[in-house]
Amino acid sequence: MENFKETDLKQLRPGLWATVNERYPGSMITKTDFVPLARLKKPLPESRIAFISTAGVQPKNSLPFDTVHPVGDYTFRRVPSRSKPEDLEIHQLKYPTVGAKRDLNVIFPIERLQELTEEKIIGELAPNFFSFIGYNMDALKLEQTLAEDLADAVEAEKPDGALLAPA
Amino acid sequence: MSLNYLNEAVESGDTEQLIRYVRLHFGDGNEKNGRKEIDKAWIEALKLLLDVPATDREFILKTLGEKDAATLAHLFFHLHFYFVGRSGEWIHDGEL
Repeated sequence: MENFKETDLKQLRPGLWATVNERYPGSMITKTDFVPLARLKKPLPESRIAFISTAGVQPKNSLPFDTVHPVGDYTFRRVPSRSKPEDLEIHQLKYPTVGAKRDLNVIFPIERLQELTEEKIIGELAPNFFSFIGYNMDALKLEQTLAEDLADAVEAEKPDGALLAPA
Repeated sequence: MSLNYLNEAVESGDTEQLIRYVRLHFGDGNEKNGRKEIDKAWIEALKLLLDVPATDREFILKTLGEKDAATLAHLFFHLHFYFVGRSGEWIHDGEL
């Protein structure tokens, strides 16, 4: 991915952090850092795409996300991008999972991404997708552990771009 | 409510803020529901003991004696959801 200098692009939704803190006092770190956007270096049909989700989706028989902990779970799971929905399950307490249990793609569009690859709209999928749960009340720990660990894991997959999907 | 807020509440002895957080967690953001959920879990646990069934006290005492307090606290939260699940009235959108 090609990073741009601060002078090249404006940050999207610069007031985002303040807005979140208004609704959930203290739950977000105040960020004044410039977050650079990145542009794909090559066309999508030639790109390897990673997928990162907060849906709490994980392979069956992997350690369930800790949905009971009062301060949250700061781990992530690798989800092989060739998985079928029946290979996966959801451990997540804070959003309705009824629809996702009928069709996982509504929250974790793994089959749609596989189809887009078969149709050559996407070059290829990274070997693994990534998932974690969004209930994390220690914003600093989230940034310093989960976000950093996840970024390293995603980088290791050598993607050209990443699709981010909040639950 | 963030972890910083909770740590400040611990330092200042603001127990109302702390229990409010627990209620919000158990009630999925609704404090009133959270209070009811806490009651539900205790009622369910009590009902199971009314007939004074045989229980594995050795396991209980061994666990309390051998495990660290943080693990037991974590277990306490697990037990809450376990008994709420047993009650048959699940208010949460998702599952454990």
